[in-house]
Amino acid sequence: MADDRVAGYAAAVLAVARAEDDEAGVTDELFRFAQALRASNELRVALTDAAVEPSRRQQIVEDLLGGRARPATAAVVSMVVGAGRGGQLPEIIDAAVDRAAADRNRTVARVRSAVELTPDQRSRLTAALRSATGADIEVRLIIDPSVIGGVITEIGDDVIDGSVRSRLSQMRAGLA
Amino acid sequence: MKRTIRLLAAALGTGAAAVLAGASPAGAAETIGGCVFEKVIEAEETYGSLHTIENGPKDDLEKFEDGLGDCVEAPSPILPEVDEIIWGGAAFLILLAFMTWKGFPMVKRAMDARADKIRADLDSADQAKADAQRTRSEYEARLAEAREEASRIIEEARDRALRLERDLQARAEAEIADQRARAAADIEAGRRQAVADLRSEVSAIAIGAAERVVEAGLDTERHRRLIDGYIDEVAEDRG
Repeated sequence: MADDRVAGYAAAVLAVARAEDDEAGVTDELFRFAQALRASNELRVALTDAAVEPSRRQQIVEDLLGGRARPATAAVVSMVVGAGRGGQLPEIIDAAVDRAAADRNRTVARVRSAVELTPDQRSRLTAALRSATGADIEVRLIIDPSVIGGVITEIGDDVIDGSVRSRLSQMRAGLA
Repeated sequence: MKRTIRLLAAALGTGAAAVLAGASPAGAAETIGGCVFEKVIEAEETYGSLHTIENGPKDDLEKFEDGLGDCVEAPSPILPEVDEIIWGGAAFLILLAFMTWKGFPMVKRAMDARADKIRADLDSADQAKADAQRTRSEYEARLAEAREEASRIIEEARDRALRLERDLQARAEAEIADQRARAAADIEAGRRQAVADLRSEVSAIAIGAAERVVEAGLDTERHRRLIDGYIDEVAEDRG
């Protein structure tokens, strides 16, 4: 039931982005907002607190995204938060991104790095992942300082971990 | 037995009746009155009447008086009358014959039966005595068995109590040993846990220090090289 609800909201989000004829730009901004929502506990609480009026939650969204993101992006987020589904917003955005990629016969690769990748690195990583998986890959970069260094790639359930964080964890496990 | 006694009494009664019947006629003929009466009849037949004798010759009178004197003469105190002897002897013989024929065998059979009964009673008494003796022996044997059984039960109970005491002692010793082992294991586990905690703490400190060193040492160039190395590794390993 929850999966159906997430899929329904994802379809609506995607339909709005396509209606604005800016699917790539809207989904990219939504993906970044979802990562910011995952990283900020304070923001997540503000958008999901039932004690806060829906109009107030939507006002928070407008304050955050107004002038910084496309109006369609802000409208979609405001719509989901106003519907009381702010707690499921990251899953809805992920489902929308995956569906948009699937509609283009692509597979989303979530790449975590402590720093931004250069265009050359992004294209080479895309080619390497395409070569490794045999699928047309769409890289979604997530800036995550906890990675420390290196890269972690998630494609579906598969994880390719080349981060400094994981090496330090291995060292910790070895010492323990 | 009673029948035998009755037959014997009947035989004796029959003999006595025969003796009395045989003796009665002799008694009647020898009375003084009868004798006098016979002498008077005899004198009247001889002399016609007693006045004739009285008035007749003196010799006839004396003869008649002598005859009357014979009538009052006393009988012999020792010898019975002849006919009495004959009847008594005959009765005795008849009784003797009857007794020999029936009485004595009957008495002998009664005595034999009595002896047999007494013997049987004695045998029964002996048998009863033997039975009582056997019963007593059996009772004594059972009593001895009961005593032996009681002794055996007491002995077994004593052995069982001894075994139970040993088992309890062994169990207590085992329990003590087990508790000691558990305590030693707990101590060892605590020691190992302390060592592990210490090691984990040390490693956390070391890793934290390493992270800080690594983070401090990761400049843009090092980030680029790490990412490039990752891309090359993915391309090589998955290619």
